[in-house]
Amino acid sequence: MMRVFYFSEMAYDPAWDAGMEHGSMRVNFPSSNFDPQTGHKLLNRFLDEYKLCDEVGLDIMVNEHHSTATCMTVSVPMALSVIARETKNCRLLSLGSPIANRPDPVRVAEEMAWLDVLSGGRLEMGLVKGAPYEIAPANSQPARIMDRYWEAHDLVLKALSTTDGPFNWEGEYYQYRNVNVWPRPVQQPAPPVWMTGLSASTGRAAAERGHIAATLISGSIAKPMFEAYRTRANELGWEAGPDRLAYAAMIGVGRTSEEGRRRADQICGYVRTSPVVYEPFTNPPGYNTTPANVFGLKNPAKRAFVSDRQGNPVNHLTASIEDFMASDTAFAGTPDEVFEQIKSFHEWCGGFGNLLFFGQGGVLNHEDTCDNIRLFAEEVMPRLQELNKGAPVSVPRVAAAE
Amino acid sequence: MSATKLIAGIELEIEERGSGRPLLFLHGGDGLQPERPWLVALAKHYRVIAPHHPGWGGSSLPKWVGSVDDLAYLYLDLAASLDLSDAVIVGNSFGGWLAAEVLVRDASRFGACVLAAPLGCKFEERTKREILDMHSVDSQRLMTALWADPARGVIDYPAKSMDELTQVVQGREAFALFGWKPYMHNPRLRNWLHRIATPTLVVRGEQDGVIGQNYVQHWCDRLPNASSANIADAGHFPHWEQPAAFTKLVADFAAP
Repeated sequence: MMRVFYFSEMAYDPAWDAGMEHGSMRVNFPSSNFDPQTGHKLLNRFLDEYKLCDEVGLDIMVNEHHSTATCMTVSVPMALSVIARETKNCRLLSLGSPIANRPDPVRVAEEMAWLDVLSGGRLEMGLVKGAPYEIAPANSQPARIMDRYWEAHDLVLKALSTTDGPFNWEGEYYQYRNVNVWPRPVQQPAPPVWMTGLSASTGRAAAERGHIAATLISGSIAKPMFEAYRTRANELGWEAGPDRLAYAAMIGVGRTSEEGRRRADQICGYVRTSPVVYEPFTNPPGYNTTPANVFGLKNPAKRAFVSDRQGNPVNHLTASIEDFMASDTAFAGTPDEVFEQIKSFHEWCGGFGNLLFFGQGGVLNHEDTCDNIRLFAEEVMPRLQELNKGAPVSVPRVAAAE
Repeated sequence: MSATKLIAGIELEIEERGSGRPLLFLHGGDGLQPERPWLVALAKHYRVIAPHHPGWGGSSLPKWVGSVDDLAYLYLDLAASLDLSDAVIVGNSFGGWLAAEVLVRDASRFGACVLAAPLGCKFEERTKREILDMHSVDSQRLMTALWADPARGVIDYPAKSMDELTQVVQGREAFALFGWKPYMHNPRLRNWLHRIATPTLVVRGEQDGVIGQNYVQHWCDRLPNASSANIADAGHFPHWEQPAAFTKLVADFAAP
């Protein structure tokens, strides 16, 4: 089975030119560059596009960023609440709550439980670290961020699954004396948990808990992460099926190759603008590991984030759609071509069962976006089901809790 | 040369040079650069004891250490274990904050204090930034704020060894750990500065872009026994940029 979650950053592309000129799309790009009336129309348009996904049988993913022209969603639960009311069948993937940047994890648990109740148990719950440039808008402490992440993670899951509360929590980072979440989620003990990351260590950490591990826009990042997940699961005595792994890509489908590539190229506008951030916000101390930062000091020129299957770096600021296709950042063309590209990538990386369909990156207009969604749902998605035929369904064996 | 000393379960790497009146030197966020001339200059007059804070240099940073309070008690323990008496305590930048946190708790082992471009206090209203947000400006602006002559502070990172770079990276992370939020200050510290009866000299480099002259004045207004001095052609690290002038100020103020 291949589940497909449509995803839109709900970008505010009218400010992109000004952001590029400013040299930063995030954090220090003043909101005078945002026109609320234009934003009103765009937000409603993007929510209409999400609604269409439910009608054509796709699942839905929402994320959030802050102080940026690249993403208007500031709160996943707020957006998903609207979408939950406007949809009937789709799974609702929150990817996710940046729990290390949230001062109140119990509030996160409450919001997730409420969404699960509202949607009748359709929530998929991502608990994410957040991007480095999210540290400044949240003014959260970058040092020891993963220690804080794990404490928040443990607290959210305990808060969701405890039915005989209240319980006490006096940790290093969070203190509560009466945790007792009402309403409690439909999916017990908790909605399925997702993590995001770019490294093998994230793959291993997710495998140790049986969570779904998601990564994005570079095949050369996904492959080692997926392998690390499967290996760690094996070590723990269970077989990780494709249902535990997720990959996000820009996807443009058209009635001709050219149309599909044009759409994907426009969606990739997101990748070309997203990393444009004022330098000091790109790597707060402690956010990345010590070896990664040592490597960065030793090799100041090497900063490519995306590379192709052979490991050649792709500069996303200047990459063509063909470059992005070579790095599995984008799948583009006719339905046949897109299917073949996904199939080839699926084989190369060892398989995954969740495709995060990045189908609106900013400048793609409403008609193109809707046609892209329909074509994908009608012509590509049914064929993807053959990719994981016979694959095991995971029964995670979670590493012993403390 | 440096030695490692176990204090309160923390392995502290300590540079020690010279003889005479003990001088405890607490470094700033950029860490201790033991080969810099200021250390040599001070060591001509004093027994200089310069620990690398936990997380910097070769000093360990156990998980249970995570606040400036921990560092203040650590240095009180260090002063006790060395049985310091009538010592001079000198702190630069973040180290100036630490020196003040030490002295408001217990000043009994210290006879004089020099705060060179100290951080650590908040005096003015909430929208006023008194300490430059060093983590929100690009490297060029930061160097201009830190140095009267930025060329003096340039470090060739790719030329450094992996071990040295590891210490640089860990020091940066420790600096964030102790100073990220509230940014480089303890909102409560200013209300306890009256406890520091120790004669104190607050020094500022004239080109310091991290703190201004007003900030020095606020410190002097709150400290019961303080005066201030400026050093020309120096930024946020006056002891690095002008080691001779800095050493003379210290020696004139706190007789070796």
